[in-house]
Amino acid sequence: MIVAERKPLSEIKQYVEKYKKILIAGCGTCTTVCLAGGEKEVGVVAAALRIAFLKEDREVEIIEDCITRQCEPEFVEPIAEKVRDGGIEAVLSLGCGVGVNFLSERLDSVLVFPGVNTKFFGAAVEPGVWVEMCAGCGNCILDVTGGICPIARCSKSILNGPCGGSQDGKCEISPDVDCGWHLIVSRMQKMGTLERLSEFVPPRDWSTSRAGGPRRVIHEGMRSQNEGSEEVT
Amino acid sequence: MSQQNGESTVIAPCTVGCPVHTDNRQLVDYIIHGEYEKALRLLLDANPFSSVCGRICHHPCEQNCRRSKVEAPIGLRRLKRFVIEATKEHRLAYSKARQVPPGEMERVAIVGSGPSGMTAARDLVSMGYPVTVFERSENPGGLLGNVIPRYRLPYEAVKEDIDDILSLGVKLVTGMEIGRDITIENLFREGHSAVLLATGLSESRTLNVPGIDSEGVMLALPFLQTVLSPIPPVLGKRVAILGGGNVAIDVARSARRLGAEKVTIICLESPEEIPAWKWEVEEAHDEGISIMHSRGPRKVFTDNGHIKALELKRCTSVFDSDGRFNPQYDEMDTATLLADNAIIAIGQRGDLTSLNGSDVQTAPGGRLRCDPKTQATSRQGVFACGEVLTGAGSAVEAVRDGHRAARAIVHYLETGDLIEQPYDDPQALGELPDETVEKIVKRHPLVLDLVKPELRIKDFVEIERGFSEAEALNEAKRCLACTTGAFADEEKCAACLTCVRICPFGVATIEKTAVMPQEKCQACGLCATQCPAAAIALKRFGTTQMRDELRSAMESQNTELMAKPLIVSYCCLFEVTSRNWVSETTVNCLESGIVRVMIPCVARLGVLDILSPFEMGADGVVIIGCSSGDCLYPTAEQRLENTVREARGVLGEIGLEEEVIDYWRTEGSAEVSWSSFWEISRRKLKLMKDNEGERANDSSRAKTTV
Repeated sequence: MIVAERKPLSEIKQYVEKYKKILIAGCGTCTTVCLAGGEKEVGVVAAALRIAFLKEDREVEIIEDCITRQCEPEFVEPIAEKVRDGGIEAVLSLGCGVGVNFLSERLDSVLVFPGVNTKFFGAAVEPGVWVEMCAGCGNCILDVTGGICPIARCSKSILNGPCGGSQDGKCEISPDVDCGWHLIVSRMQKMGTLERLSEFVPPRDWSTSRAGGPRRVIHEGMRSQNEGSEEVT
Repeated sequence: MSQQNGESTVIAPCTVGCPVHTDNRQLVDYIIHGEYEKALRLLLDANPFSSVCGRICHHPCEQNCRRSKVEAPIGLRRLKRFVIEATKEHRLAYSKARQVPPGEMERVAIVGSGPSGMTAARDLVSMGYPVTVFERSENPGGLLGNVIPRYRLPYEAVKEDIDDILSLGVKLVTGMEIGRDITIENLFREGHSAVLLATGLSESRTLNVPGIDSEGVMLALPFLQTVLSPIPPVLGKRVAILGGGNVAIDVARSARRLGAEKVTIICLESPEEIPAWKWEVEEAHDEGISIMHSRGPRKVFTDNGHIKALELKRCTSVFDSDGRFNPQYDEMDTATLLADNAIIAIGQRGDLTSLNGSDVQTAPGGRLRCDPKTQATSRQGVFACGEVLTGAGSAVEAVRDGHRAARAIVHYLETGDLIEQPYDDPQALGELPDETVEKIVKRHPLVLDLVKPELRIKDFVEIERGFSEAEALNEAKRCLACTTGAFADEEKCAACLTCVRICPFGVATIEKTAVMPQEKCQACGLCATQCPAAAIALKRFGTTQMRDELRSAMESQNTELMAKPLIVSYCCLFEVTSRNWVSETTVNCLESGIVRVMIPCVARLGVLDILSPFEMGADGVVIIGCSSGDCLYPTAEQRLENTVREARGVLGEIGLEEEVIDYWRTEGSAEVSWSSFWEISRRKLKLMKDNEGERANDSSRAKTTV
C-alpha cells in the first residue's frame, strides 16, 4: 500500500487561500487505509479551512468529495468533469501523488494541490504505525534476501550487507530504525539458508528503478481488449 | 447472523418475547432521550393495558432480555410503569387526539370487559366501528377489575386503562349479562354485525373429595371477589389453599392480609414444578406463607359441618410421559393439616351462560367450539378471544388475543370471509456469545425493595413502588440496544481494519469488507467514529445525528442574540438524572449561550464533530463525558481523549487557540457538576475573547501610530 501523511493545515491553507471555490478530493483506497485522505479526513480538512477562513472573514466555497481511487480514469473523469463544469478554481487532492498527477492531467486550467505527502510503499506493523517495506525498484531480489528487501529496508540500500553502522540490530541513522541487513541475516539464520548470503551479489542495474526514467507496465491481455488504444513506443 | 446493510429482519428478543411485540428497545431509547410521551404512545399502541401490565405483567420481555447473560435483565416492566406514571396528562391528550368520529360502519358487540375484550374494542373503535361492550358485573376489567388483589394491582391502574379505552368512544354497558338478560341473537337483531365473546375463565373449578362441601371451604374466585368487596370474608387462623398456580398465591397472600396466621399452600407439584411465578412464590414465602409440595387433598375432616382439617396424600407424579396433567398418588402416604378454612384454587373454567339462546355450539367438556386460528365460532359473525378461547393465560396474552380478534372481525366485516392468523413470532436476535459477555461492563440493576413483609401483610396497599426518574434513566442505560448496532457500506469500505482494531468488544471482522455481527455488536459507535472511509453507519443515533442536532439547535436560535461566548456542549446522555437536562428551552439557550447536544456516549464524537461548532460560529466546545472509569464501553474514554487531542491539534495548525476545546468528566452527576463546568469554560473563553479584542485594538493603534 502507498502510505501518505496529511500535510500541515497551515501549508494546505497557503495553497488554496487565494481561491473562492475549491474542491477537496479524497481517495477511497490507499490514503483512506493509512488515515490520511479518506472521506473522513476530507471532512476534517474542509472544516479546518472553513474555520480558518471564517476567522479571516473570507468567503470561500469548499466542496467535498471522495472517489474510490484517484489513479483510474473511470473514477477520476467524473470528478474532473465536476471541477470543469462547477466553476471550481482549485483542487486539493488527498490522494497520493499519483492522484494529484492524474487529476492534473485532466484539468487544463485548474491547479491541483497535494494535501498529503506521499511517503512510501509500506505495511501497518501495528495500528497507526506504517513502515516502508518496498522501494519499487523494478527488479525484486527478495528471493536472495529471505523476503526482506535490502533496497527499502537498508538505509544505504546495499546489496551485500550489513555495513559497519549496524549496532544491536539497529541502523546507525536512528535507534528507531531496524537494520535491514540484521533482519535479513536473522531471518536466513532461522531458515537455515544463511550460506546463500556468502554468494556475492553484483552491482545491480538501476535502470529498472528511477534511474531508468518514468516507468510503465503493460498487460497485453487487457490492453488488446481496448480497441484503438495508443501504440506504446 | 451477520448483516451488511442494516436491513436485517431479526428483532430484539425482548420484543419477540412480548406477546404484543412491544418495541422495548425503542421504548428504552425514548426514555434515555427523555421522550416519555413518545414512549407512552409506543406503549399504548401496542398494549392498551399498559398501566396494568406495568404492574402485574409476567414480563416475558425481561425473561428474553439478552442482558440476563451479563448479570440481570433490564427492568422493562418497571420502566413501562415509569413511563405511564410520568405521562398521565399527556395520556389524556393523546386519547383525545386519537378519537375517531363514529362513522356509518357496522356495529360490533363485545361480551366481557377484560383485557382481551377491551383491547379488541379499542382497536375496532379506533378504526371507526361503533362498539358496545357488555359486562355482567358493575366493574369493568374482568379479572383485573374484580379479582386480582389490590396489593398487586390497585384499581386506579385498571381504571386508567379502561377510561382511556372508553374515552375513544367505546360504549360500556355494565350489569347486563348476555345469555340471561339478552341473547346473542338479540344483539344481531338489534343491528350488530359481529359479536365477540371475551368472557374469560370466570368460574373456579372444584374438587371431588369427601367433605369438600363443608362450611369454611371456598372457591378461589368468589373468595378473591369478596376480598375486593366492602365486606371482606372472615377467616379462621389456619387457612389451607389447594393449588399451586398464581391464583393460589393471590388467595394465600390475601388470606394473610385478612388476618390468617397460618397460611399453607398445598400443591401437587414439587418446588421445581410449581406453576406459580417464581417471584410470587418468593414474596409469599417472605410473608410467612408455607408451601406443602407434592401433596393433594384426600378428605376434608369436619366438625359440626365445618372444616376442621384436611387429610392429604402424597402426589408421586403430576404429569404423564406425554407431559399431560395426570397426577398419581400414594394413598398410603398421608398427612393431616389442621385448617379453619380451605380455599380451592386449582384452576378456572369458562362460564358459557352467554351462549344461552344462541346458535353458538359447544365442544365436548363444556368448552366453546371455536377455531383458534380464525377465532370464529360455529355461528356466523360470532368470534371469541381471550382465555375462553386459549385457556388460562396472562393479561398481556389476553391483550394480544384482543388485537387478533379485532383483525379477524375487521376482515370478516370487510370481506365476509375468515382470516387465519397463526401465532408466528418474528425471528429474534441470537443470544450473546460468551466472548462478548466477558467484555461487557457489568452494571447490576437497581433492586427496589418491596414494602417490608411485616408491614405489607397488614393491608392491601400496593407493595411495589415505581422507579423515580433518576432510577428509570439509570436502568434504561443498561439496555444493550440489541439490533441497533453498526453496519458497513460495502461500496465505501476500504477494508482498512480500523474498525477491527478499534472495537472494544471484538465484534468487527473483515470478510472482503467490514462485517459487524449483530449478535455481538453493542452499538457503542466507536468504529463508525474512527472509520476513515465514513463507511460505517449505526441504526441507533446515526453517525450524522450529532451534526444534524447541532445544526438544528443552532439554526433554531438567532446566534447573534445569544449570550457570548457561544458554547456548544456535547454531553453524555447516560449521565443525566432528569430529562430537564435533555430538553433545552430557547430562553435558557439565549441567556446562557450554551447549546447542548446530548449523545449516548460522547466517545462517538469524531474530530469533525468537534470542529463543526466552530464553523457555525461557536467560540468554544465543551465536552462532558461520564465519570472517570464509569463508561459503558471499554476503551471509549481513551478514544475520546485521542479525538480531543487531534481536534485541538487541527485548531492549532490553523492558528487557533487549542484551549477553546474543553473535556470534562462528570463528577457525581449532571446536577452536581455540569453547571460549574460550563461556568469555568465560559469564564475562560470570555477571558480569551477579551484578550483577543485587546490585542486587536493594540495592533490597530500601532498601525495608526505608524
